[in-house]
Amino acid sequence: MLVDEIVDAHVLVIGSGGAGMRAAIEASRYGSVILASKTIAGKGGCTTMAEGGFNAVLRDQDSVVTHREDTLSGGAYLNDPALVDVLVSEAPDRLRDLVRWGAVFDVTDDREVAQRPFGGQRFPRTCYAGDRTGHEIVMTLLDGLDATDTQIYNEVTVIDLVRDENGAVAGAIALDRDGGVVLFRSDATVLATGGGTQIYDVSTNSAAGTGDGFAMAYRAGAELIDMEMIQFHPTGAVYPYDARGRLVTEAVRGEGGILLNAQQERFMKRYDPERMELSTRDVVARSIATEVLEGRGTRHGGVYLDVTHLPAERIETRLPVMLEQFLAFGVDIRKEPMEVAPTAHHIMGGLRITPECRTTIPGLFACGEVTGGVHGANRLGGNALADTQVFGKRAGEFAGKSPGRKGRIDEAWVEGELRLLDDFFEGVMSPAAVRKDLKLTMWNQAGIFRNSMDLATALTHVRRLSDRRLFAASTANIPECCTVRNMCTTASLIVRCALLRPENRGAHVRRDPETTTWDPEKSPFGHTYISLVREGIEQREVTA
Amino acid sequence: MKELTLRVSRYDPAEDAGPYFEEYTVRVNEGARVLHALHAVHDNHDPTLTYRYCCGSGQCGSCAVRVDGTPVLACMEEARDGMTVEPLDLPVLKDLMVDMGPVIAKIARICPAPDVEIPTREEIEAIKPLRDCIECLCCVSACPALQVTEFAGPTVFRQEMRLALDPRDSVDRIEDAIEKGLFYCTTCRRCLEVCPKEINVPGKAIEKLREIANRRGLTLPRHQEVATLVQETGRSVARTGMTFLEQVPEVIEPDGPLRGEIGFFVGCMFNGRVPQTALDAMEVMKRNGIRVIIPHDQVCCGSPLIRTGQTSFIDDLRRKNIEAFARRGIKTVMTICAGCGATLKNDYETPFAVKDVTEVLTEYGIEPPAKLDVRATYHDPCHLLRGQGISEEPRIFLREAVREFVEMPSQCCGAGGGVRSGVPEEAKALGMMRGEAVKAADADVVVTICPFCEFHIADCTDVPVKNLVTILLEGYRKKDAEERGSP
Repeated sequence: MLVDEIVDAHVLVIGSGGAGMRAAIEASRYGSVILASKTIAGKGGCTTMAEGGFNAVLRDQDSVVTHREDTLSGGAYLNDPALVDVLVSEAPDRLRDLVRWGAVFDVTDDREVAQRPFGGQRFPRTCYAGDRTGHEIVMTLLDGLDATDTQIYNEVTVIDLVRDENGAVAGAIALDRDGGVVLFRSDATVLATGGGTQIYDVSTNSAAGTGDGFAMAYRAGAELIDMEMIQFHPTGAVYPYDARGRLVTEAVRGEGGILLNAQQERFMKRYDPERMELSTRDVVARSIATEVLEGRGTRHGGVYLDVTHLPAERIETRLPVMLEQFLAFGVDIRKEPMEVAPTAHHIMGGLRITPECRTTIPGLFACGEVTGGVHGANRLGGNALADTQVFGKRAGEFAGKSPGRKGRIDEAWVEGELRLLDDFFEGVMSPAAVRKDLKLTMWNQAGIFRNSMDLATALTHVRRLSDRRLFAASTANIPECCTVRNMCTTASLIVRCALLRPENRGAHVRRDPETTTWDPEKSPFGHTYISLVREGIEQREVTA
Repeated sequence: MKELTLRVSRYDPAEDAGPYFEEYTVRVNEGARVLHALHAVHDNHDPTLTYRYCCGSGQCGSCAVRVDGTPVLACMEEARDGMTVEPLDLPVLKDLMVDMGPVIAKIARICPAPDVEIPTREEIEAIKPLRDCIECLCCVSACPALQVTEFAGPTVFRQEMRLALDPRDSVDRIEDAIEKGLFYCTTCRRCLEVCPKEINVPGKAIEKLREIANRRGLTLPRHQEVATLVQETGRSVARTGMTFLEQVPEVIEPDGPLRGEIGFFVGCMFNGRVPQTALDAMEVMKRNGIRVIIPHDQVCCGSPLIRTGQTSFIDDLRRKNIEAFARRGIKTVMTICAGCGATLKNDYETPFAVKDVTEVLTEYGIEPPAKLDVRATYHDPCHLLRGQGISEEPRIFLREAVREFVEMPSQCCGAGGGVRSGVPEEAKALGMMRGEAVKAADADVVVTICPFCEFHIADCTDVPVKNLVTILLEGYRKKDAEERGSP
């Protein structure tokens, strides 16, 4: 294949979710911007599916110190404290940006943005627009983006980052809908490709949540941290089969929903009597998984999540999307309980970044779920949307302030990359079959409860899958092959990091007998890290 | 797992002369959606099948397709055996993937003023019902106005009204809306019917934008004339001869034993323009033992004004009509005009029940008429089908009343929403499409229950168009004649 089109810009933003769009808006203040979107911008990513809300300290009774402590404690103190400081102190301003740009958040009678309680937080600081908060943010960002000169490339799949002779990222290669090759050249590149829990059989993510950013950055030489930290959201739908994993928002519990096992027991009292249903997600997910494993689950392999005690009007106004989705599958949540079980939701790990969103390779910035360190070992509900806006803005700003590109792109390297794509026409394996196999492997052997043997088996199998020669039936099928290849890479990063962490911490729980559970604040371990050149786990000094 | 067969529209503009259907038999899980059936085709039969999808949970609006002709979200609609899957009625890029860009580009963006304050709770609550839109373009695919005019599409007007309601927005949305075809909407409510988020664009956006336009003096002159007429005469139709109300007493007693009692709301068209149909209805009631009370102080229901945004004196009409029937202790008010019925049901809060003539007759049961020796088809009036949710009852009566009943595809005739008077060329174009459908149905008569549809379709076809009550009465007359003829 050959390059069909070359496009130059000051900043290239890859990804059109909440973080990418926010980055593009900010970067456009400093020069020309291209936004490369795998979907139609606004329809892809996971931001638009985010339901519950956006954490921001807005009231006098609340404080950023409390938000910081909640985030660190919820993250089992694996968070990068400097990133948490940025998150909590800038979230209120980023929320105000959205409101200024026209976001339709719910407000109180006193004309303040309304807030609801979410798990693991000592103050109800989760701002919301019913249970379609992410969609509201995306629609607002689309409005904001439209007011800039950003050039949006819809439905192009970025397949690799491009580096210059000095090793700095200088753009990316992408394929358009018909398989045409576009070479984007930029002074700075922002990676905002989101997460990737589509590598699990049961996942809340959109079809675009395939971990491409982790894989591309890894191939380009960037370092990633804490990739073993996968958030299993406690409440995903369990049936019908094809709807399994669909997110049931934490707002259901925030609004007063209770969890019951098949024996109608409010089991959270045995796991976290104080916080009950509003414990942190790692705790609630494990509690539900344990109930099911020990035989107290429902017929469909879940537990009940019940809001029937709430007034119907409250369900209709605060949880309209939940009501509509369950009705579509024949369940009226005003009258009968939902059935839920954990589902792979968020990857806490990702690219190592500075508070200026610089990755470990020059020229490459990153923001949103593709980064690591903000959420530590477990993310609080409501902190992801805040993350997209706070770090999206920062990535856009510092990428925008980057100097002009000096190095030259190695054209021979680009040509070599494109020649590799031609191999897909000679492949033998259906990408769909490899994807299915990978998802089951990850779910069964690198899921909520892990052990070294399962992880080792998973790694062997994932490597085998990575070596499969994928087949593209047409040029338009090449992006699918690239995506499956990226899924395999992301999966292997997760498993390798899971093998590196010899402790139970936050969302990472190993059932090997020798695994230690430390008081998270006192754990001698820091981030796991992984790159083309090194991998390991940081040790840290712990003061007694 | 289960097996199902589906027909999928395939088309590669670079290779194919036109779209064609391909049939696939796939295995899917119990409860699978249309999207999962498409995945099964893609993964196991033909990886080149192109379709768009993303969130899989009805939140992103990527995957809308037409299933058996109706736009739906592929990820939410349950897959069924024998279904036909086609792209939305938009330019096709490949297979089921359409070009959404040009329509999305017409959706206005907010232009926030520099020093904006957060809206009040009331303002937010007003905007919210218009904010759920996921821009899936089901409404655009289904809208009849779009087929014949430059109408920008239902969701475009949803957004104009969402912005008009937002104190932060700094642009005049009314002129923009008029430019985009505000007066082209027939208020047929097909968009609401197909909207996965059930957004009432005609009621909550189109009519409200027309209201603001009206306050600015931007209502179409032909619509203003109707408003003046209603204000001066209480009627939206000018007098041409003896009206229905002038020809009937306040109470019409049935021929046989009394089986029931209803109040009758005649409506302007049947009162002033075609009183004979209303008189036919009275005969049908008499014959079936139903006493009819006809308050002579009833006035226009206000529908032509509400649909066109001219609501300044609508409360006065509402009060007069409610009093006219309530004062006489009437429990049920019957309409034979779909537009009046929908208005009394949806835009009024009445102390009495409102029922379409087919509901009343279904409730009481009717003496079977003799079958007319014709092949009849039925046109669903929008205000009956979607405005009142009535589709089966008229068909049941019709099957009983004619030799042969034949369906034709349901679509707005183009007369509603002030379009027949305000944008006659659009009404004509939509009417001609109905004329074609009637021709294809090869019927001897078109039956409907709305005088606007009746009048309008009659202009667009050579086949006679009649109200259902007239058909029933003709059946009774035939029956009587046959009985007289026999020894």
